Amino acid sequence: MQTLVGLLTALLPIAYLLLLGAYVLVFLRDDPRHLLWARRLMAATVVLHVSQVGVRALALGRLPADSPLEFVSLLAVALIIIYAVIERWAKVPGTGFVVMALAFLLQFLASAFVGVRVPPRALLLDDPGYGVHILLVLLSYASLSLAFVYALLYLVQARQLSRKTFGLLFRRLPPLETLERMSVGAVQLGVPLLLASLVSGHIWMATLVRRLSPDIAASLSHGDPKIISSWILLIAYSIGLLGHRYFGWRGKRMNLMAIAGYVLMVAGIALVHHFFPSFHNFSTLGGV
Amino acid sequence: MKPRESAEHRPAGHPAARTDRTNARLADAAGRRAATLKLWGLDHHRAPTGIREKAHLDAGAVADFLAACAEEPAIVSAVPLCTCNRTEIYVESPMGAGVRDAVARSLAAAGVDIALFEGEYGLRLAGIDAVRHLYRVTAGLESMMLGEPQVSGQVKDAYRTARALGPLGPVTLRAFQGAFRAGKRVRTETKIGEGAVSVAFAAVELARKFFADLGDNRALLVGAGETGALAARHFLAQGIGALNILNRSPERAQRLIEDLAGGETDAPIRARPWRDLGAALSEADVVLTTTGASEPVIGPQMVREAVRLRRGKPLFLLDIAVPRDVHPDAADLEGVYLFGLEDLDEIVQTNLQARRKELDKSDLIVARELGEFTGWMQDMELRPTVAEFRAYLEGLKDREMGYVRKKLPQDVADEVEKSLQIFIKSLLKRPMVQLKSASSREERTQHLDSLRRLFELGRSGEEEPGRAP
Repeated sequence: MQTLVGLLTALLPIAYLLLLGAYVLVFLRDDPRHLLWARRLMAATVVLHVSQVGVRALALGRLPADSPLEFVSLLAVALIIIYAVIERWAKVPGTGFVVMALAFLLQFLASAFVGVRVPPRALLLDDPGYGVHILLVLLSYASLSLAFVYALLYLVQARQLSRKTFGLLFRRLPPLETLERMSVGAVQLGVPLLLASLVSGHIWMATLVRRLSPDIAASLSHGDPKIISSWILLIAYSIGLLGHRYFGWRGKRMNLMAIAGYVLMVAGIALVHHFFPSFHNFSTLGGV
Repeated sequence: MKPRESAEHRPAGHPAARTDRTNARLADAAGRRAATLKLWGLDHHRAPTGIREKAHLDAGAVADFLAACAEEPAIVSAVPLCTCNRTEIYVESPMGAGVRDAVARSLAAAGVDIALFEGEYGLRLAGIDAVRHLYRVTAGLESMMLGEPQVSGQVKDAYRTARALGPLGPVTLRAFQGAFRAGKRVRTETKIGEGAVSVAFAAVELARKFFADLGDNRALLVGAGETGALAARHFLAQGIGALNILNRSPERAQRLIEDLAGGETDAPIRARPWRDLGAALSEADVVLTTTGASEPVIGPQMVREAVRLRRGKPLFLLDIAVPRDVHPDAADLEGVYLFGLEDLDEIVQTNLQARRKELDKSDLIVARELGEFTGWMQDMELRPTVAEFRAYLEGLKDREMGYVRKKLPQDVADEVEKSLQIFIKSLLKRPMVQLKSASSREERTQHLDSLRRLFELGRSGEEEPGRAP
């Protein structure tokens, strides 16, 4: 089983790299045949990744999402699944290469550093409440990652226009309005998901505290720095959305806010993991 | 009941009589003598506008020309193609027929001198070269704006017009159908038609880099000049949501509104007084300026105020006036994108360069389609002789079978006939392969001539070799 997990984990970055190459071709050539092949490759990559998650879940006896690297790997596949939906909806495949680059980077990091060895089983993570919570977190982070990508592309296209550079990027990237709509749309999707993930996390924690032994329950806190930083992030994104809805915030300002929010989110996660490693690390907890 | 007019009793100019004559020529073209396509043309590559104007055929002249062609025995069919940039006459005639004088008379009937097409500016092509030119024209590869799609529609119109006035010869039909296919393939399989190649379209293309759907946006035209009107017309044609026009002279603005409203647009168009310029600026998404003012009419302060009211929503300013209407400092403001004529020209040049890169791919498509046409032409040239040869062999077989049936029982005679049929088929197979794989047209013609001489094909009524008594 461990050999199979290792093989699939090693294959994933290659699949993501091929997918990135396919979407770079779609961007450069704008040929429907290339897009068809890129979409087929995307479906194959999702199948491969889901298989890897399945095999790893069988080996671990739980959803492989408790370590940051496992989470990052799941984020990569969630990103391309949500992107596939958006691509079909907005019909702008020219932006796929940036999403695929981000997904490849995430998966490369995950495959390079995640251990093949199966860690000891944390029974706490078998709880269905954990599965719901992690799924919501995953989807919200994937949405906000896409918002970041589209906001970045907005700034790139705005720069092309203000500098009057009518090259390949100018020709292939969608209009500013579309990029802004996609970025705002992704935030509109990500914010309720983030709220739901936080609420589900609090509820799960409240039920766990009642079921855990007092010494373990004491290590769980609603004031976990990661939870607090997520609430701050949620408030910041919500203010941005309210400003967009009621005060007509548009253009560069709105997109810079989306980028800043995402950078803060990633930096916050990294800082919390670095300085407070005991928080939000359920794999260290014992059985229920 | 009125008796049906017989072909012999129709007057010469009668349309039905014309059709009879054309049908006879078509039968001839499909029969022994192979036909070819010839071209007399004048286009923007070679002929100046003055010469092209003299050779231009309007709708009435086209009808006169086609009617005159129908009277000419040397012309199987003709298709005149007349656009702003070219007048081209495609004529199908039997090979070797002296068609030049017939075309000259037909053109004269339409008020055009054939000498225009034969002088230093004229383009004279025949056979596969004429067909290749037609394919390239239809694909937009010979157009002034490389890859422009309108010419394909114009070729189709010319073809329909000619077809409506009389049947077309097989070579003409095949050549034009091939041209439409080649044109479609070039447009769909290459990017030769992508990107704006005129300043007015470049303005629309640029606007599309800001707005997903122009129907949700409003345009403001400042000044009612000719260039601005042209650009406004393009924006309306591309579905802009609404258009406001500001001009110092309200009467002129009103006249332009009436002119623009006459086009195919549902977008509301209205004039606003000049004093509303500031407010109109903040409400518009696309601003086109084309006044003849000697000083900028839109200053940085006015734009700053508009941007403030727009709360960061980008403002797309297109200043196509000379001298400029918008102060250059406005471009430095956040959320303002100011473009001038030189920017639009740069877009046009970039797009033209990108189109030129698609030329090799387009030429390859044309060459492939031309290959199909050539194959068909070879078949057409072979068909009459091969059919005659087959008929000759069938005649021999029938004669032999006459003797056989007298001497042998029915079932045995049937078997003999079957064997002879297979023999004829096998006998024809190898010469057909040899004829089709001939390395040149000359070689194929030589083979065909030999076949005709050896078997004395085409000598109808003469005594065929009989069976020895």
